[in-house]
Amino acid sequence: MDWRWDFTFEVVLPRIWQAAGVTVWATVVSFLLALVGGLVLMLLKTHRSAWISRPATEFIEVIRATPLLVQIFFLFFLLPEVGITLPPLTTGILALAIYNSTLCAEVYRAGFQAVPSGQWEACVALNMSTYRTYKDVIIPQSLPPIVPALGNYLVAIFKETPLLSFVAVAEIMQVSKLIGSEYYRFTEAITVAGIFFLVMSLVAAFLIRLVDQYVKRSILH
Amino acid sequence: MIRFDKVLKAYGALEVLKDLDFSVEKGEVVSIIGPSGSGKTTVLRVLMTLEDIQGGTIYVDGEPLNRMDVNGQLVEASKAHVRRIRAKLGMVFQSFNLFPHMTALQNCIESPIYTQGLSKAEAVEEATRLLDMVGLADKAGHYPSQLSGGQQQRVAIARTLAMHPEVLLFDEPTSALDPEMVGEVLSVIRDLAKSGRYTILLVTHQMGFAREVSDRVCFFDAGKMVEEGVPGDLFGNPRNERLRQFLSKVLEAS
Ligand SMILES: Nc1ncnc2c1ncn2[C@@H]1O[C@H](COP(=O)(O)OP(=O)(O)O)[C@@H](O)[C@H]1O
Ligand SMILES: [Mg+2]
Repeated sequence: MDWRWDFTFEVVLPRIWQAAGVTVWATVVSFLLALVGGLVLMLLKTHRSAWISRPATEFIEVIRATPLLVQIFFLFFLLPEVGITLPPLTTGILALAIYNSTLCAEVYRAGFQAVPSGQWEACVALNMSTYRTYKDVIIPQSLPPIVPALGNYLVAIFKETPLLSFVAVAEIMQVSKLIGSEYYRFTEAITVAGIFFLVMSLVAAFLIRLVDQYVKRSILH
Repeated sequence: MIRFDKVLKAYGALEVLKDLDFSVEKGEVVSIIGPSGSGKTTVLRVLMTLEDIQGGTIYVDGEPLNRMDVNGQLVEASKAHVRRIRAKLGMVFQSFNLFPHMTALQNCIESPIYTQGLSKAEAVEEATRLLDMVGLADKAGHYPSQLSGGQQQRVAIARTLAMHPEVLLFDEPTSALDPEMVGEVLSVIRDLAKSGRYTILLVTHQMGFAREVSDRVCFFDAGKMVEEGVPGDLFGNPRNERLRQFLSKVLEAS
């Protein structure tokens, strides 16, 4: 195998390092949006009025039944048609966020339902508001199952970011392809990209475990 | 204080309360007895708005709970209306339902602070007084998992009292307890009943206790109240055949 260290250090690493910033940014922003969006979707889906819960349920079904890549293309080509022109990165983050918010919604729903019905009933009997019921009673108790599941989606989003290369976002995959075609050398760039994903995934998994342990310690006595 | 007017509660085709008429006067202590599945818990649950009803009206202090009066017409009750009426009621559950991630004290101050708008200091002072009253002053900082069943139920009673309800609903408050802890909980309920400050509705299988503290005992069977009376009459001279069978079975078991 033909591997050139000088090329790796002088060309590949600096450019991939820059692209890594884009990858991490896309991951973190779409994860945070998915966390909030998932909560909103779950609340809409479980709303008492069918006028609200039905559309939310249908929306979730549609998003889950289509590939993420198709959704990315869809937003990328459709939004300009209706007069919304966004940078490719923003469009990509939006697609990742929407797709993953439907998955997070299910995590929240399962977590909240796992809280015994007696806890909800005690909140009613104590005349607590819906906001306080969720914030002080239901959410704290559902964190132990929710946190590790959401952590897995963080890693999943991270591994989905290469899909953004299809709409020319300058993230790691796109940049390594560019380096490859500019210099007719793919080995170094693709290898470095792979190692970066591997290391970051391991780091993320480790951090998630720490957060998980912290949550379990502080909530379950 | 409480009036059920032809209340119908059904789960699908299963009618659990059948056109129930039932009322409780202010300050009265009423026990509900009856075989398992007769609808005793359901009476408390529909009153506490944990379940909706399919027909009839429940009145609390003369006001309908599930409807409200708007310009002389009864319409579906708003959230605010239900919450205002619900503030008069407090419920103690068979399985305590304490918040497991909060200490005994935190359990007792949560709703007073956020629902009644008490300052933290006021809420803590009140909760401390109530925990002391149920004999748990030294357990304020303990989590439910660090307390025995009897202690948890006493915290749950303190938590309910902290909301200053006028009506207390007890659903078999000692059924989930080991026998040696039943006494400590009954003694707290006895004091509340004797204080005369509360209207009390108690679902129980402890016939002796019902006889001792109640002004009136109601016997439920198959979603209807089939006999009621002062404890001496109802236990001493039961007229209904089903009640006689029920009492003899219960006495046999104990
Ligand atoms: N959520 C429910 N769904 C269907 N049936 C129920 C539900 N809750 C209670 N029931 C039925 O209602 C009847 C009365 O229940 P309940 O009020 O708990 O009786 P009790 O407290 O007197 O034992 C029982 O037949 C029970 O099976
Ligand atoms: Mg019951």
